[in-house]
Amino acid sequence: MTQTPAGDSIAPLARTKATRDLTTTDVREQQVVDDGNLVNRSGRGKKIAVYTALVVFALIYIYPFVVQVSTSFKTDADAVANPLTLLPNPVTTAAFERIAQTDFPLWFFNSVLVTLIVTAGRVFLDSLAGYALARLKFRGRNAVFTTILAVLAVPGVVLLIPKFLVLNYLGMYNTYPALFVPLLADAAGVFIMKQFFESIPVSVEEAARIDGASTFRTFWSVVLPMAKPALITLTILSFQGSWNELAHFIIAADDPRLYTLTRGVGGLTAGGLGAGNQFPVSMAAALLMTIPTAMVFIAFQRYFTQGANAGAEKG
Amino acid sequence: MNQPRRPRRTTTLALTLALGSALLASACGGGGGFEEESASSAPASASGPVDLKMLFGSSGDAETDAVKAAADAWAKKTGNKVTVTVASDMNQQLAQGFASGNPPDVFYMDASQYANYAKDGSLYPYADQIEDNEDFYEPLRETFTYEGKQYCVPKDFSTLALQINTDAWQKAGLTDADVPKTWVDLTTVAKKLTTGGQVGLGLSTGIDRVGVFVVQNGGWWVNEDGTKATGSNTEVREALAYVQKNVKEGQFAFAPDLDSGWGGEAFGTGKAAMTIEGNWIKGALEKDYADVKYKTVELPEGPEGKGTLSFTVCWGVSTDSKAQAQAVDLVKSLTSVEQQLAFADAFGVIPSRQSAAEQYQQKFPEDAAFIAGADYGHGPINRPGLDQVIADINSKLENLKGANLEQVLKSFDTNAQSALEK
Amino acid sequence: MSTVQTAAGPSTGRAPQRAPGKGGAQRQTTAGWIFTTPVLVLLGLFLFIPILMALWVSFTDWTGRGSPFSSNVETVGTENYQALLTQEGLSRQDFMTSLRNTFYYVVGVVPTQTVLALLLAVIVNQKFLKGRTFFRTAFYFPAVVSSVAISLVFLFLFTGTGAVNQFLAVLGIDGPTWFSDARGLIHIVGDWLGLWTIDSPPSGLADTQVMSLSLWEWVSGPSVAMSAIMLQVIWTTAGTFMLMFLAALQDLPTEVEEAAMVDGANRWQRFRNVTVPHLRPTILLVITLGVIGTWQVFDQMYVMTQGGPSKTTLTPAYLSYDAAFTQKQWGEGAAMAFLLFALIFALTSLQRFVLRDKDEAATRKAARVQARAARRKGTAA
Repeated sequence: MTQTPAGDSIAPLARTKATRDLTTTDVREQQVVDDGNLVNRSGRGKKIAVYTALVVFALIYIYPFVVQVSTSFKTDADAVANPLTLLPNPVTTAAFERIAQTDFPLWFFNSVLVTLIVTAGRVFLDSLAGYALARLKFRGRNAVFTTILAVLAVPGVVLLIPKFLVLNYLGMYNTYPALFVPLLADAAGVFIMKQFFESIPVSVEEAARIDGASTFRTFWSVVLPMAKPALITLTILSFQGSWNELAHFIIAADDPRLYTLTRGVGGLTAGGLGAGNQFPVSMAAALLMTIPTAMVFIAFQRYFTQGANAGAEKG
Repeated sequence: MNQPRRPRRTTTLALTLALGSALLASACGGGGGFEEESASSAPASASGPVDLKMLFGSSGDAETDAVKAAADAWAKKTGNKVTVTVASDMNQQLAQGFASGNPPDVFYMDASQYANYAKDGSLYPYADQIEDNEDFYEPLRETFTYEGKQYCVPKDFSTLALQINTDAWQKAGLTDADVPKTWVDLTTVAKKLTTGGQVGLGLSTGIDRVGVFVVQNGGWWVNEDGTKATGSNTEVREALAYVQKNVKEGQFAFAPDLDSGWGGEAFGTGKAAMTIEGNWIKGALEKDYADVKYKTVELPEGPEGKGTLSFTVCWGVSTDSKAQAQAVDLVKSLTSVEQQLAFADAFGVIPSRQSAAEQYQQKFPEDAAFIAGADYGHGPINRPGLDQVIADINSKLENLKGANLEQVLKSFDTNAQSALEK
Repeated sequence: MSTVQTAAGPSTGRAPQRAPGKGGAQRQTTAGWIFTTPVLVLLGLFLFIPILMALWVSFTDWTGRGSPFSSNVETVGTENYQALLTQEGLSRQDFMTSLRNTFYYVVGVVPTQTVLALLLAVIVNQKFLKGRTFFRTAFYFPAVVSSVAISLVFLFLFTGTGAVNQFLAVLGIDGPTWFSDARGLIHIVGDWLGLWTIDSPPSGLADTQVMSLSLWEWVSGPSVAMSAIMLQVIWTTAGTFMLMFLAALQDLPTEVEEAAMVDGANRWQRFRNVTVPHLRPTILLVITLGVIGTWQVFDQMYVMTQGGPSKTTLTPAYLSYDAAFTQKQWGEGAAMAFLLFALIFALTSLQRFVLRDKDEAATRKAARVQARAARRKGTAA
């Protein structure tokens, strides 16, 4: 006799109905009992339809990136004349050489710097605040939490002009801190950490506290290591948020020495290249920008998908 | 067993803490970012060697190199330093520079934007410190005069003329005698030049091109003293109607419809047999479309006589600059006769000094049509606050073919009038 | 006050704990505030203060020179807001144009990306599928890449003689010069159906002006250029929402599906009556996030079109930035930012209200009434 999930009132009924149905010959779909679960062995028509759709969508999603790679190795004329072909003719690295002559290395450095500081900062500050909101009982905790929730309601773009005014007022405009300090303010990250800390059993902390550990030590040495999944999620989200950020960098500085990748490469289309469109150069720039993202993505794939859901739950 | 909830007190507490600490932080560094407006008109002069910041919008590598070389020469001569930055979005970078209290010391100031900056006190009026200011063409000096004061000196100028592809011209069986002298001529010639893959006359969009017809018909967008918008006047409407008719009939076309970014590209790629562009087209054709054979002639006359548009840019010096004296000195060196001729050589602009004109004419006889335009060219609209209205009518004129001219011009008048009255 | 719970009632059998006592609670309070202060300061400094400053600026005529709090700056009351909403003029025209453009953008993007995300999730969720991780990665990857990089790629794909048009040529369609084409889709369709001709619009529509735009301009639909951007955004963001749908689909208890199967429901009925209701909260979430995100679109306009052609890709976010930073109209730019904020807030509230789960709302309302009654009676719950 097959096992069904215990404690479910539907299962026994399903079991008896299933056995009864199997004995009848008019089944519209083949129902197979497999490890106690009814499994649909899909018809061939459905499979073909699904696989066709899959291939079509996969093409649509992968093709632009393939084009990006192949165009960066084409000459200007070849790129314009044969945009669809995937093999450059002739193959050339002229676009990359041209990029090396721009300030691309500087932009890359700035982006890496900002991303590292913002990611580390956010992980540290958000886990601190998230822990406090989840586990520390203090008066005003609810108010703080409500405040942070309220922040999530403010659309980011609305803050462009306001943040510029404040940066200017503080004298921070056109400095390195202007690039990363405002980005450290992250309400969504606090929310994610709080939710995660709430799921850690209290007994762990109680044990530490009985042993006489201070609050910070309890947090740092006991609870935080248990929060690895959430921390990695937060790291991924912070990386994404700072590496890909554009609007904030536009208003934070206009000194070309402070340009990040997004700002510098984005400006390539707006006349920084001189006359005409030089597609291989812009494709090469886009490619070089995307490679770090791809590397991080492949390495932490699992956590990216978790991150998407975590980031959504705050809504 | 429950905590008594006192939400109101704790909310206030949290918010106060947040705001309080923020205010505290800002008080420490507060207000530092904004520069206060300086009231004096004597040039600020920094002692010792200075590092001037220069910002300009370049037309290409030729211009960038020439300007950098000129700035470096001055720097070496005076023992200062000049940091030259090429803008990717000149208007935005200049505005952001001023807003953050940290504008460049010297910069290109386009005539269309100039009045806005003069009005809000961003420009330092140094023209009275230039001894031979009278040497600059008067219409150009007037372009940069706001409320009786001249704020800067023009660095060069250009006018529009008619470029003709001589190969296409001959193929259509036309001769020198057929060079159009009136609007009717222009239509006839354009019709003859329009073949399957080529249109007779290709134009960039916007009032900076179709405006030539407006001037030739005796009209203009605002009245003489810039107090009233005159876009709806019959002269303006008739001129635009003339262009619209030719576009509908097929012998005129606009660059985007020819898959080109501007008239010069349409001309260079052979999609248009004629175009109306300024002297900058020389460099572009030489560099990108070297095998096109062409000549430049003066534009045909309209019902009210000759007319063309002239464009000019001046060297702006910012009021916020801490080294204004040095900045003005740099400008003097950049506008010397030799320097202007060097720029003319490098990227094809016409010197704004009358004393340089003769030398220029001798060196570049093919530019006779452009130079002639200096006499009857109408300068750009330079009233403050109108640049957005102009951008708006330009966006509407991108589709001149299907536009309802009366409505477009009426809307221009309404918008321009309210801007002029501010 | 003290939050100590005295161990009342039956003993739990554990060894008596050293109760935290007042010292412990104090420590927690101090720690609590220390832990949260950095975040609060940052939020205060870079969120609340900016909003207050911008609010102030929106009531002045500051042009960007000097401090906005200096004595030279005059307050002009609600003039900036009036210029955007009630006064005839270019500011209102541009603002209304941006609202119109973004309206069509939102209406086009949100449903499409929701449906596409759901479709992709259903496909990827098929049990017989091999290589699920690969496809899930492929569909999600664009969402992770910078919008600048993607914009550059799409600028290349959508040129007049680019990949997209060459592909369309294979299908026999003559593709437009996407980013230079300002014709509205509704205008084009109407022209094709013979309702009107684009070049000479019906005077009834073209002559009536509502809020600085003619009716003809209001019903233009998204322009061809805007459509290219819409396609790009749908392509990019569907992946993120696909993941949310995937998680929800995998959450669907199999017993419920089995019961339905056993009851004789076919695939479509199962999908409609079991899967979709289960997905309802996720659908609501995806739509909410979609609306919030689309009304804020900025990066693509900045990199690709700068509001053109003919202002048909102008959005309130970009216009607000442009008004302030390029046109030096800081007051109007700030006013626009607040109007946008109010609009997004109103829309999401409205949408949550309209799409709320009525049963759940009724239950919650009943609970609230009960709680209120209990409090009034003075009983500790």
